[in-house]
Amino acid sequence: MMAAAPPPASPPAVTGSAVVSAALTETNVRVNSDFRGDRIVLYGAVFDPQSRPSDVVVIVRGPEQPVRIARKARVAGVWINSRPVVFQGAPGFYIAASTRPLDAIARFGVLRRLEAGVDHLAINAPTEQRTETRYGVQDVVVSSLGADYLDWRNAVVRLKTAEHLYDVDEHGVRFVDKGLFRAEIPLPAEAPIGRYDVRILLFQNGQPVSEKDRTLTVEKVGVERGLYLWAHQRPWSYGLAAMAFALAAGWAASSAFRRD
Amino acid sequence: MDLYLPIAEVSVNAPLLVALGALVGFISGMFGIGGGFLMTPVLVFLGIPPAVAVASMSNHVAASSMSSVISYSRKRSVDFRMGGVLAAGGVVGAVVGVELFRWLRLLGQADLVVALSYLIFLGIIGGLMFWESLGAILRRRRNAPPPPRRDRRPPWLYGLPLKLRFPRSRLYISVIPPLLLGAFVGVLSAIMGVGGGFVLVPAMVYVLRMPASVVVGTSLFQIIITTALTGVLQAGRNQTVDILLATLLLVGGVIGAQLGARASSRFRAEELRAILALIVLCVGLRMGLGLFFTPREAFVLMSGAGG
Repeated sequence: MMAAAPPPASPPAVTGSAVVSAALTETNVRVNSDFRGDRIVLYGAVFDPQSRPSDVVVIVRGPEQPVRIARKARVAGVWINSRPVVFQGAPGFYIAASTRPLDAIARFGVLRRLEAGVDHLAINAPTEQRTETRYGVQDVVVSSLGADYLDWRNAVVRLKTAEHLYDVDEHGVRFVDKGLFRAEIPLPAEAPIGRYDVRILLFQNGQPVSEKDRTLTVEKVGVERGLYLWAHQRPWSYGLAAMAFALAAGWAASSAFRRD
Repeated sequence: MDLYLPIAEVSVNAPLLVALGALVGFISGMFGIGGGFLMTPVLVFLGIPPAVAVASMSNHVAASSMSSVISYSRKRSVDFRMGGVLAAGGVVGAVVGVELFRWLRLLGQADLVVALSYLIFLGIIGGLMFWESLGAILRRRRNAPPPPRRDRRPPWLYGLPLKLRFPRSRLYISVIPPLLLGAFVGVLSAIMGVGGGFVLVPAMVYVLRMPASVVVGTSLFQIIITTALTGVLQAGRNQTVDILLATLLLVGGVIGAQLGARASSRFRAEELRAILALIVLCVGLRMGLGLFFTPREAFVLMSGAGG
């Protein structure tokens, strides 16, 4: 771990003196029939009259999607699923890109508060938790997952990472010129539809000194959108039409192949 | 050439799916099965959410069954009355099966039940069918006479009330066994995401004692009715039918089914049954044996948050 010891001489950053600014080259990702994922490019600049060493962290969060996860256990020689646990507050997409490894940029508590990095995402399983008064202390969170809780949480992150939906890119943000940086966020085809929050954070001395928020919309367009809306708003007519089309296709093929 | 599917929300390779549809359609037309038990596992393996794969399969199966049933009906080898009785049972079974499946998903045990059903039903049926057809092939090689048929009029067919004439099958039997068989197949098809032909075909031969010439066509006719119902129910209740996915599969499927129906006349019935038995056994073992191996990943994400 390259814990960059910040020079303790300078007092906690004079807020307002250093400012970050950023823009997405594309704010609207259009999902049509040839959508195969996209790369979101972001440019930004750091304005700092004193030119202190700066780090930039870009966090992209997709719309929230509760996660249902089960653990396999061996019962009578057969591997079966445990009862599923629901994790709330998990983003459907999450990537944290930065100029350096996050733990070199800021301390644990700071990252935790900003939910920077997959380890610091505030996801929990409320159905498995309840608050109690224990030893006279009120509102103690008790998890029935017990000591395994971290295993479950890590599994959520691991499986989502395997699907390219969660990621940490320690060198995803690059300074291309003095004060000018560029970030590139890969968006897989499996990325959920909806509004994404893009947060650009400027760190100096291990503290966030400036922040910008941008939004990005991923939406279906054209035929994809029409079919999706039809299937969800008039599901019965959609189902009937789809089945009628299938039967007609079967009939057409058998007529076409008829040898008389 | 990749295509983004609007309901499945994944990008897939279109020519691959058309080819897959054609291959499964060929097998479907040849053996008189829907082919769902082959296609559903492959689609899930390709990354399509299982709920969408199972639902969209119904459309594909209905289309390729429609395509080949017309060919069979021209050859007068569809017993529409028997198919109707089976389908009446199948409709009840499918509705019960859908509810059962929802309940299993809530418990998180749907995967287990699906895998076990594949192992048990495909294993038993494939094994029995393979044993029987192998015997028939060997007897033909040795020019041995076919074994004397045991009781030609078993009591479970002739002793029960509500008898009905099935002229095409040359049977005069109670409607209760076909109704129960149809209902059982309906439950299986909802749980396993299949048409149920692999259960129907052998059951019609060995249990209902139908003549082999009408079995395939009648099975396909019954499959059309149950899968058409399941497809519409899935779209209406769960919004899981992807019309683009179904179209890709059925373009290949309807053509493959025609070629399969034509190819089937070149083989002897027992040889066809032996090949089908091997396919069924392989898929059943592949799906079911996974339960006994230690999984590489102990955790599994479940699709659909609500259940």
